[in-house]
Amino acid sequence: MRSLTLVIIVCLTSLAAYLAGTRFAGLRRTHVREAAIEALDYLGLAVAFLLCNLAVGIALILGLRTLTGRFVSVYLVNDAALAILSLLQAFIFHRWRGRSS
Amino acid sequence: MRGLRPLGLVALLLFAAAAFTPLANRLNVWMAGVARLEPADAIVVLGRGGADTDGVLANRSLRRVLHGIGLYRHALAPWLVLSGSAEEIQARTTLAQGLGVPAAAILSAGPAHTTREEADQLRRLLLPRGSRRILLVADPIDIPRARAAMERVGFDVLPAPTAATGPSQPEARLGLLRDIVIELAGLTYYRLTGTP
Repeated sequence: MRSLTLVIIVCLTSLAAYLAGTRFAGLRRTHVREAAIEALDYLGLAVAFLLCNLAVGIALILGLRTLTGRFVSVYLVNDAALAILSLLQAFIFHRWRGRSS
Repeated sequence: MRGLRPLGLVALLLFAAAAFTPLANRLNVWMAGVARLEPADAIVVLGRGGADTDGVLANRSLRRVLHGIGLYRHALAPWLVLSGSAEEIQARTTLAQGLGVPAAAILSAGPAHTTREEADQLRRLLLPRGSRRILLVADPIDIPRARAAMERVGFDVLPAPTAATGPSQPEARLGLLRDIVIELAGLTYYRLTGTP
């Protein structure tokens, strides 16, 4: 039920944003689909950044373990902040790519 | 950049399935397997998450030790063996004694960072005492790798996972799925490097 509540809330605010966008901000309805597809590109980029961050993080930790002989936990990279930072990286890269093309 | 769109779609679908369906809960139950709460030589509570600098146990560490204390109070084994980091063991020992477990019944394994190290410490502590059959207390998702590590060093393992159904809130389910992925990666790493 809690999950459903969240979905309902997001659907309601999305509908409100759609109505406000089309009626007051002059946004075109036909562009919604393109925007959603572009969001998938952005999300995919964020996942790619996250995977790279994880790979680099784990490689660094394993390298440190090998070089120093000291234990460094792999759980160091198990942090939600890394996902948020990856989203930020993807956002900047996505905008940069958009402005350059 | 062509693969980004399918990757984004997969991520979105995975997110929806993980947060809004019982996928993570099902995986959690599946990884726990069937609990075997039978008489044993010792109850082994593995470390997880450690303790803060002020001695407060992490959520999972606390849940594990409470489960272990419960098993001890059901007289399933004469020893309650506490494992993990030094701070975690200390905090757990204090808690167990505070909840009525006699100090003489508590054994502390040496501090360890990994499950593999814990298995080696426990082997040195328990096998010379003739304690081979152990009730292994761990989170459901940790049971496969922990069990394999303990069996590798010579224990007969009776799995005693903590509550297996898992959370129902979307955020907690996402966290659980993340932990499951990490655990499966760890299991794969252990197998690739020649140990369970």
